[in-house]
Amino acid sequence: MKYSEHLKLMRKFLKRTTMFFIEHNTMIIFFLILIISANVSEVFFTQTNLSNLTRQVAGIGLASIGMLLVIITGGIDLSVGSIAAMAGVLCAVFSSTTPLSIVLLISVASGIAVGSFSGYLVAIHKMAPFIATLAMMTIARGLGFIFSNGAPILLADEASAFIEFGSGYWLGIAYPVWIFLVISVICALLLRHHIFGRIITAIGSNEEAVRLSGIRVGIHKLSVYAISGGLAALSGLITTFRTGVGSPIVGVGMELDAIAAVVIGGASLQGGKGTAINTLLGVLILGMIGNIMNLISIPAYPQQVIKGVIIIFAVLLQKFQSKSNHN
Amino acid sequence: MDKFKNYCVELLNISKSFGGTRALKKVTLKVKSEEIHALVGENGAGKSTLMKILSGAHQKDSGRILLHGREVSIKNPHQSKALGIGIIYQEFSLVPALSVAENIYLHDLGRESGYIQWRELRMKSKALIQKIGFDINPGEKIHRLSIAEQQIVEIAKALCQPLKVLILDEPSAVLGPKETEKLFQILRELKKEGLAIIYISHHLDEVLRLSDNITVLKDGLSSEALPSGKTNKDDIIQRMLGRSMKQMYPQRTPKIGREVLKVKELSSKNRVHKVSFSVKSGEIVGLSGLVGSGRTETLRAIFGADKKSSGHVFLQDKKISFSSLRKAVKSGLGLVPEDRKQQGVLLNLSIKNNISLTSLDELSHRSGFIKAAEEKENTKALIQKLSIKTKHENLKVEALSGGNQQKVALAKWLTPHVKVLLIDEPTRGVDIGAKTEIYQLLNEMAQTGVALLIVSSEIAELMEICDRILVMYEGKIQAAFEQKDFSEENLLRKAMGQ
Repeated sequence: MKYSEHLKLMRKFLKRTTMFFIEHNTMIIFFLILIISANVSEVFFTQTNLSNLTRQVAGIGLASIGMLLVIITGGIDLSVGSIAAMAGVLCAVFSSTTPLSIVLLISVASGIAVGSFSGYLVAIHKMAPFIATLAMMTIARGLGFIFSNGAPILLADEASAFIEFGSGYWLGIAYPVWIFLVISVICALLLRHHIFGRIITAIGSNEEAVRLSGIRVGIHKLSVYAISGGLAALSGLITTFRTGVGSPIVGVGMELDAIAAVVIGGASLQGGKGTAINTLLGVLILGMIGNIMNLISIPAYPQQVIKGVIIIFAVLLQKFQSKSNHN
Repeated sequence: MDKFKNYCVELLNISKSFGGTRALKKVTLKVKSEEIHALVGENGAGKSTLMKILSGAHQKDSGRILLHGREVSIKNPHQSKALGIGIIYQEFSLVPALSVAENIYLHDLGRESGYIQWRELRMKSKALIQKIGFDINPGEKIHRLSIAEQQIVEIAKALCQPLKVLILDEPSAVLGPKETEKLFQILRELKKEGLAIIYISHHLDEVLRLSDNITVLKDGLSSEALPSGKTNKDDIIQRMLGRSMKQMYPQRTPKIGREVLKVKELSSKNRVHKVSFSVKSGEIVGLSGLVGSGRTETLRAIFGADKKSSGHVFLQDKKISFSSLRKAVKSGLGLVPEDRKQQGVLLNLSIKNNISLTSLDELSHRSGFIKAAEEKENTKALIQKLSIKTKHENLKVEALSGGNQQKVALAKWLTPHVKVLLIDEPTRGVDIGAKTEIYQLLNEMAQTGVALLIVSSEIAELMEICDRILVMYEGKIQAAFEQKDFSEENLLRKAMGQ
């Protein structure tokens, strides 16, 4: 009698823990990699390394948050890397002649404009997001080359404030990282508690049903691409502030890292599912993987293979999660 | 001995549990060759589970399956197929982008040579379809066919191999009266050829007309086989529910007010041709007709989901020309669409998110942040009002039964600002218990002064709950009947254009 009761409790406990692991798998992968990293390299937990790591992921992180919003509606945005480059170039080009606040405005607005055009093609002309943003990807990249004449442009001396911002800290955390964190929190609030988040998630789940409920689907779809473009531009600015250069070749492949981060964060490419916190964790997971492999000096080529394997592993875990949710 | 031999398929004392719930408790079902055997019961009574065991999609926990007196073991759909058991599921399993012929022979396209013999494939498909009395171009893509035609292809697909048993799960749910009649003809033909046919349906009138014997499932238990000639609808409902049919439809005492919705010469490119009528507040008006007569399209054109090509819609004497669905909803129109899963609900989101969708503005601060407590309360109140069976308002809608999903689709329009609700097939694929509750709800809505316009393929349903019925034929309103003139024959005749 007693024994069987113990057994029952034990089984219940086991079930609860597996459920916990399955539900919070992004969090668990995050801590797993954190622990592994701390054990493999003594350098990992030093202030310098962590600061480097977070500064590195801030840019990708901003693009990933935008990507998350797009993916939640069931779309995808391939243009983020190109927009980042274009915005960085514009910032450097205008830095010598224009007041800095206007420079910021122009750069971010350029990203929003490109994003809005993708959104317009997707929402109004029903173009497949993959195609629309693929086209905008080459257009934005081309514009970056045109504005810069194909060469990296140094930030002007008048823009030293940008450089200071790019290397500045507050409470031991770099400014760009603060921006990333604040944007993540805003996004989390929007997704959890705001009509906007509710509607874009609903669109990703069943667009037609949302339309028939009298909700303006088009404007919401357009706006996620606009936001994604704006955040991608911000990400490009951060890179330019950090390096002091506006280069038309930065951000190649950034869209793929952003997609990877969002997917590792458990969002579904079918839409209707995804959270900002998990995307933030996904960004950190990707960043840590790269960071630790650098620290223990794994050469660049194997790094790519290992990164890919870890992405597959993470996504398989989520497949497992959705299956167990069904049962 | 002789009698025993006659059974084509026997399911004996079949039990099946899912986790802790026992879906089937020693269920027995015996069907002879040349017999149409109906299986009825509420959703969740175990009909589909039983058929999935026979077709190999599920494994039984205990019990025996005999085919012509010999015990067989069915471990997967492939084995079941090899034994000559064909099944047509409620949801079609056709590939929309492929042609009719490809779909019919999907399982062995080019099996012999590795190449597809297109000409032979087409000819074989054509012969097969003609055999069951239809003429569908085998080269046509599935997505271009009507739902009724898709059903025919589904049957042809099942028949492309030698069959002993044919199972049909709710085949008439998507068909209008005319198509259903045609389906019955086919089934009677197949029966004559020696097939044992198991027919699952919610439509008891059909079941009584078509089948030789009826087995009722209730809570995982089976009744004995009832010969159709010796039973009636009330008896079956009593067995299914434990209560009688008279309580199924609400007693209506309509409180009809002034005209709310007026449609004048409305046309759309989509089958709607100069349709005019009006609906008063508190009135329930039915829109009847065959599949393809333009019923659904009329609703969609009024709502603005399809573009209208000419004509006007008036809401409370105000002419409205909606540039967006948002405006339609803001001014008091609502639409519960025909296809619940594709258009009505968001399956992978919570009940709460579904229900709030139409009243997000009311449930949030001016900043756009949602008032969580208020939303939760609102949802809980509606869950209770509609008796949606769920443990929690945050449960995903996909976890609910069809009837409860339909209630969610309705619940989101139960807001004070809805004045006219357009409902397309309010009870399709819904069990009788939930049906009763939905009728009750529609009645209550009308009592509060909402004008209801209902499209339904079930004539009996319309006759019971409507104050007036309009019959459509080829995109036009063919006739209008007041309640005292309702009769199934009149309605059907007009629906066929006579």
